[in-house]
Amino acid sequence: MEKTTKENAMTDRISYYFKREWKVLFIITVSGILYNLGILAGPLFEGKMTGCLVDILGGKAAVSRMIMLVISYVIAIAVVQISRYVKRFYVRRFSNNVNRRMKGVLYRSLVHKSRAELEQEGAGDVMTKAILDVDDCAEGMRKFTTEIFDTGIALAAYAGMLLYYDWRLALISMIFPPVSYVIAEKMKTVVQRTGAAFKKQAGALSMATLDRASNAVTYRIYGCEQERKAAYEERLSAYEKSAVRANIWGTAFPPVYRVISMAGTIFILYYGSKNILGTGWKSWDVAAFTTFLACFTKLSEKSSHAAKLFNAVHKAQVSWKRIKPLLKDTQCDDKTAAAGPGELAAAGLGFSYPDGTAIYQDVTFSAEPGQIIGITGAVASGKSTLGKTFLCEYPYEGRITFAGRELREMEPDQRAGIFGYLGHDPELFNDSVRNNVLMGDDDDVWKFLCAVCLDGEVKEMEQGCDTVVGSTGVRLSGGQAQRLALARTLCHRRPVLILDDPFSALDRDTENQVFQNLRSFAGDSIVIIISHRLYLFPELDQVIWMENGRAVAGTHDEIMKKCDEYARLYNTQADKSPKGGNGR
Amino acid sequence: MNSDNVTKVILSTIKEHILLSIGIVAAVSGAIITSIIPPLVLARVIDTITGGKTLPVMLTLLYFLFVALTGAAESVREVMLTVFGQKITHALRSRLMDKLTHMTADGLNHQEPGAVVSRFVGDVDTVENLFTSGIISMFADACRIVSIMAVIWFKNRGLAMVLVVLLPFLFWFTRIVQKNMLKAQISNRRAVSRASGHVPETLHNIRTIHSLGKEKYMEERYDTYIGESYQAMEKTNFFDALYSPVILILNAVVVAVVMLLSASGNAGVLAFFGMSAGTAVAVINYISQIFSPVESLGMEIQTIQSAIAGVHRINEFLAFDEIPPFEKDDGRTRCEDDSKEESVVSFQNVTFAYEDHKVLDHFSLEVKKGEQVTLLGRTGSGKSTIFKLILGLYEPQSGEVYICGRKVINIPEKEKRKMFGYVEQTFHMVPGTVKDQITLFDPSISMEQVRTAAKMAGIDDTIMDFEHGYETHCTEEMFSQGQLQLLAIARAVVAEPRLLLLDEITANLDAQTEECLMKALKRVSADRTVLSISHRIHAETGRVVRIG
Repeated sequence: MEKTTKENAMTDRISYYFKREWKVLFIITVSGILYNLGILAGPLFEGKMTGCLVDILGGKAAVSRMIMLVISYVIAIAVVQISRYVKRFYVRRFSNNVNRRMKGVLYRSLVHKSRAELEQEGAGDVMTKAILDVDDCAEGMRKFTTEIFDTGIALAAYAGMLLYYDWRLALISMIFPPVSYVIAEKMKTVVQRTGAAFKKQAGALSMATLDRASNAVTYRIYGCEQERKAAYEERLSAYEKSAVRANIWGTAFPPVYRVISMAGTIFILYYGSKNILGTGWKSWDVAAFTTFLACFTKLSEKSSHAAKLFNAVHKAQVSWKRIKPLLKDTQCDDKTAAAGPGELAAAGLGFSYPDGTAIYQDVTFSAEPGQIIGITGAVASGKSTLGKTFLCEYPYEGRITFAGRELREMEPDQRAGIFGYLGHDPELFNDSVRNNVLMGDDDDVWKFLCAVCLDGEVKEMEQGCDTVVGSTGVRLSGGQAQRLALARTLCHRRPVLILDDPFSALDRDTENQVFQNLRSFAGDSIVIIISHRLYLFPELDQVIWMENGRAVAGTHDEIMKKCDEYARLYNTQADKSPKGGNGR
Repeated sequence: MNSDNVTKVILSTIKEHILLSIGIVAAVSGAIITSIIPPLVLARVIDTITGGKTLPVMLTLLYFLFVALTGAAESVREVMLTVFGQKITHALRSRLMDKLTHMTADGLNHQEPGAVVSRFVGDVDTVENLFTSGIISMFADACRIVSIMAVIWFKNRGLAMVLVVLLPFLFWFTRIVQKNMLKAQISNRRAVSRASGHVPETLHNIRTIHSLGKEKYMEERYDTYIGESYQAMEKTNFFDALYSPVILILNAVVVAVVMLLSASGNAGVLAFFGMSAGTAVAVINYISQIFSPVESLGMEIQTIQSAIAGVHRINEFLAFDEIPPFEKDDGRTRCEDDSKEESVVSFQNVTFAYEDHKVLDHFSLEVKKGEQVTLLGRTGSGKSTIFKLILGLYEPQSGEVYICGRKVINIPEKEKRKMFGYVEQTFHMVPGTVKDQITLFDPSISMEQVRTAAKMAGIDDTIMDFEHGYETHCTEEMFSQGQLQLLAIARAVVAEPRLLLLDEITANLDAQTEECLMKALKRVSADRTVLSISHRIHAETGRVVRIG
């Protein structure tokens, strides 16, 4: 990771990944060659042993020769098989490493994309698919590397051996494997076509089943069940037909191909026996004969894998083409440092969505370090949008300055150093409580859990603060999730904290306590609380009331006087609450 | 019918396709026998040559002939197995669908559609595997091992004894490796799903990540998750890469031992291990042949294990409660003929309870022809239960429910739509064209009827604006919430029913759409008897019945 800047431009080249893995590839090459050349040892020794047995039975050789042969045979096979083990193991490691590296690059560019980019261009979907493509690509690279050795080198070795023993017989018998290969290739289009048709039928069947299951009651009410059943039966018949067709092409033919490529054995047996009897092209002993036959059997078996090699390369190429443009390395220094305290000011602030819908206009207020500001208003008055405006996801009208600097002129990570934002959605991670709060920082997690009054509940959890909260925090209650997210925000304190309805799921006692803790924890940070619950508002330094796209700012008492609706809302809420001290 | 289960379906499939079943047995045994012969021919070839005689061409051809026969038998076996496997899946799915059609409404409501699909598709497929790559191939492999052992017994008794001792160990080793691999694969899958879940999570939480500046941290987490999945995968790789080398080395050792012993020259040893050169070649051949069925045997056990789980789930589904068989109409006349009462809906002393919770207690209700009645009441007061009883989804524990003078449960399926139309709370879209949404695939409904219904519901113009009009393939995005409700109304009235049932439409509609909807409801309510659940429009004009 440290070296990324140097290698920047190269992550979208396939050679980059091969180069990064040269050590692993070196081991693969050595063990692969050893294995695939050594594979000849099997037939060679088996032939020699048979020959030796003939000699011993004929009294022409001593048992000691057989002992030597047998020992070297077992050792040779052991060496070959151990190299095979090494090769297989490292080929997989190679593909894993490539996979991991590619995903790393893709993820890096994903996580640095802005929310607007991800939402508008569907870039999120593209990236998700690309990450799946990486699996295909790495798998293709693995198969390619495997087959290069297991098919390419092995075939060459077998063919070489055959040619060495009797080149004429080798050429004759080697006609058949390619013939079978060519036929198999020709059939491939049929296999693919029927396979695709089958896949389509399988999809249609799933859809039909889903329809039947999810609309079962509707069909029953309308009296359509028998007819739907008949339609489903038709689907099943169509599925059966296409499944049989696809599977027959896929499974019935491989044995036939094998038979075709084995046709060469007729010639081997015939001319080979002539060779032994001294009437053929070459002079052979029994050992040479059995070796030749065994070699040929293995060759014809291997040649059926040749198709795999090309398929693997093709598949990897397709997925590589798709991900290549996305594999540009993202430049970033990733250093978001919290800024020092400063004054926040908004003047003539307005916001409309890119499609022209205006949300609010002309909002003006300012806040000193350490102040707490409440924003409230009717439903859909734009208070949440006002909170999000500070994140600069979309352009705004007017001015926002922090410590005198205009927001839109800052870099994104500078802005991230100023504003801490907690929205409606707690956005928790499927990780432990600790990691959700600290997010990799080194700090005391309990300090923050205490601040949000969550320490007691976490202590009672099965694994304390190592309890995993589940995807989007499903294992927590709404209030727990909210407080956990608040603890995270406090842990990453920024000079301005924007909290959108942070207490909505809390009871009043807890809310009060969390609020008091927040006040002391926030220190010189400006806190903006967006809420529709108003009983805490008298304690706030400023209140912003939003109505019909306009905003009025002032102290609680001022707004009570100026805005009748605010006063009405506040009084109704205060009346309802038995413990509310201000309402009496 | 109660004990109906997977085994029964399979047995009846075998019976129905008895020729195919016999053919499979023949092909399986044929493939085994023909595959045993080539090494024997080879042995003869080699012995002939070492004897210094010329090889008869016949023998050469015979060798290839058996190789070819093996291939042919295997090919035929595969074809027949495929066909048979598909026959079984077809029969099983038909049976499951039959079950779904007869399941009680309560049962249907408790089914999660996704889970139903996984039973129909996934579980049935595992049962298919049970045949195509489970039981039958297991039988074939066992036969192969036995027949190869038999041949070896005659050719080289000593080797046969070595193998008898060795094979159980080999099998045990195979199972150990396979079990460990399965375990590693499961933990790998878990780790992989954690890693792939990280991406959507990132997309979901991107605001928090950016605002806290945690891009780097998230990258590291992702890398850790991928790393964890690889650790699990390396374990699989280890076993995977280990197995065949061990087997092949073992293979070599056995060959070596046999060769050595048969060359030993010791008479005592030779009594068991003595063989000719030709036999030696054949034996080497057989030894490598006997190891692969052992490996397959292990895999087949695994397939069978997972198939048993599938069979279990399917049987569970087939054991759900069924609705009582349909009773023939008791011959009571229809309401238009016997119209002196003109009662369209009639509840007589109806009592209904869900398990222990009594919802309706001796409830009676009479709705006369042309009346507009609204049911009002709190949630759980029994409004929807009344609807469900009228729709025939449930049967009352006591009392009777009549529509137009006929017992609800006696109304044949085909006539239901002509008797009542039901506008559901939420529209259930079916896969098909816009027209199919209205007809629900009923071929007896004409295009004219469809358009009349759509016009009445006020959705005709919208539909005609689509590229292919009513034949346009329907998707959720084509219609707004309100328009889907209009489509539901068209669906309810297309068969021109006399009774209309309106369920509370809960969708959040804007004022304009709501007005459209109200107008459409007014249009379709004219000349019909209407029973609705707290719908403003009818609350204004018609009779109100309070429930609970």
